[in-house]
Amino acid sequence: MAKRRDVAIVGVYATKQERFSQRSALSLTMEAIHGALDDAGLTMKDVDGYLGFTFPAGSGMGVTDGNVAYQLNNPFGLVDRYSGAMALLQAAAAIREGLVETVIIAAAGSRATADGRTVAWTRPEYEFTEWTGSMTPAQFALQMRRHMHEHGTTVEQMAYGCATVRNNGHKNPDAIMFQRGPYTVEDVLSARMVADPLTLLMCSIVNDGGNCMVVTSGERARACKRPPVWVLSGAMESRYTAYFEAPSLEMLKGREKMMKAFGRAGVRHEDVDIVMIYDHFASGLIMSFEGLGFCEIGEGGPFIVENIGLDDKHPVCPDGGNLSFSHPGNPYNFKAIEIVRQFRGDVNDLCPQSAEGVHTYDRSICRKVRDPKLAACCGPMTGRHSFAILAKD
Amino acid sequence: MAYDKPLPRPTPLSQPFWDGAREHKLLLQRCQSCGAYRFTPQALCRECYAEEYEWAETSGRGKVYSYTIVYRPQTLTFMDDVPYVLAVIELAEGPHMLSNVVGCAPSDVHIDMPVVVQFEDATDEITLYKFRPAE
Ligand SMILES: [Zn+2]
Repeated sequence: MAKRRDVAIVGVYATKQERFSQRSALSLTMEAIHGALDDAGLTMKDVDGYLGFTFPAGSGMGVTDGNVAYQLNNPFGLVDRYSGAMALLQAAAAIREGLVETVIIAAAGSRATADGRTVAWTRPEYEFTEWTGSMTPAQFALQMRRHMHEHGTTVEQMAYGCATVRNNGHKNPDAIMFQRGPYTVEDVLSARMVADPLTLLMCSIVNDGGNCMVVTSGERARACKRPPVWVLSGAMESRYTAYFEAPSLEMLKGREKMMKAFGRAGVRHEDVDIVMIYDHFASGLIMSFEGLGFCEIGEGGPFIVENIGLDDKHPVCPDGGNLSFSHPGNPYNFKAIEIVRQFRGDVNDLCPQSAEGVHTYDRSICRKVRDPKLAACCGPMTGRHSFAILAKD
Repeated sequence: MAYDKPLPRPTPLSQPFWDGAREHKLLLQRCQSCGAYRFTPQALCRECYAEEYEWAETSGRGKVYSYTIVYRPQTLTFMDDVPYVLAVIELAEGPHMLSNVVGCAPSDVHIDMPVVVQFEDATDEITLYKFRPAE
C-alpha cells in the first residue's frame, strides 16, 4: 500500500476543551506544546520548526517569525501561522527537503482574552460584508443553498451528517457536547433556525482549548516513544479569502488537484478508513467528499448517507468533530490528533475498559473505528482547501 | 434615529465606490486594458493584471446567485432586522456582490430572481447598496 514513510506525527496533545477556560490562548498553547513534546519523548531543544499560534508581540518589532523564535528561544528554520492539514503538508515538505527535522504545530483559542482570535466581523477589512449583517453561519448557508439549487442536495442529507457526527461526540467524554444526544435527523431539522437552511445543530459549537502535534523525520520518528503516524501526501489550494469575498462553490474546481494526492500517496479512496472532515457546518460534510474526489460533484448528499457511520466504509469525525467535540476557533489540528488516537487505540469513550484500549464496538457506547490504517485529515472547505493523507505504521 | 449598525470604513482604493453610492450610482472598477469589471475593489485586474482602471457606472441589475434568511445574527445590532435576507447577487456586469434583498417577503426570494439595486442613505457619508425584486 503506502510508499512514503519519511515524515511522521510522533506526538499529540489537547488541553481540556471547555466552554470558558478563563485562560489565555497563550497559556493553552504552551500547555499543548509541552504535552505534545512529552508524548513524543522530545524537548523544545529538539525542535527546529514552528507552525501555528502567533505569539503576542513582546517589546520588539511586533508579531513576526523572529518574534516567535525569540520567545521560544529556538533558532527555527521554518515559522508560519497555519495549523492542521496545511501545516502538516508545509512541515512535511520542509522536512523532506532537509530544511528542518522536527516541527511543532500548535493552536489555541480562548474567549477570556483577545489573543489567539479576532472578534469576527469587526475588522475594517470587512468593508463589503459586515454592514450586510453577514456572519459565519450565513456564509456557509449561502454555499449550501447554492449547492442545493445546483445539485438537489436535501436538508435531510445535511441533517443526517450532522446527527451522525454529533452522536459520536455524545459518546466522547472529552467532547464539549458529551452526552448531548443522541440526535435524530428530525431533531437536527427541528432545531432553531440560524441561517436558512442551517439549523443550530448544523453549526459548530464555540469554546476554548488548545492543541499541538509534533512532526519529524522518519529516522527520528523511530526513536520516539509512540508509534509514528505517517504523513503520506496531500494537497492544498487557495482561491479567495473567506468572509471577505462573496462565498461560492469555486473550491470544488480544485477536485483534480486533490485527487492527484492519492496517487502520490500510493493509496486509493476506497482504502480510507477514517475521514476527519472539517465539519464547521453541514456544508463541509457534504462538499468535502466531493472536493476530495470520494464521489462526483453534486453526489455528496447521497454519499454521506451511505458512508459515514462508524461501521460504514468511511467513518467521519469519530471524536464528534467541530460540531460536538470542540471548536476553539482553531480546530484544525484536532483532525490529525483524532486520527493518531484512533490508530494508537487511545480512544476515550463509554466502553468499560476504554482506558486499557479494549473496545466493545457497541455503538451506543463505543466510538472506536475498527482497525483503521489509513485516514484523511481535512482542512476547511472554504476559499482555501486542504487535506493530508495519514497512515498507521 | 441615528444609524446604529456597523458601517463600512472606506479605504483610498474603495472611496470612489462609496462616493458613487452616495449619488445613488453603483460603480465598479473596469479594466482599461481588457474591459473586465471587478468587485471587491482591487489594485489589479484579475483577468489581465493591468493596473489602469476607471470607475464605471453599472446597470445596477443582477440576479440572486444564492441567499439565506438570517434568524440569529452574530451581533445584537441586527436583532431588530430578523428575519432578513442575505444574498450573493450576480451583477449583469459579472462580479458577485454580498448584499441584502429587501422589498419583498424573505420567503419570496429565490435563486435566479432578477433584482435591481436600491440605495439606503445610512449617514451623510455612507449610502448602502441593497437589492429589491426587479419589475
Ligand atoms: Zn484587464
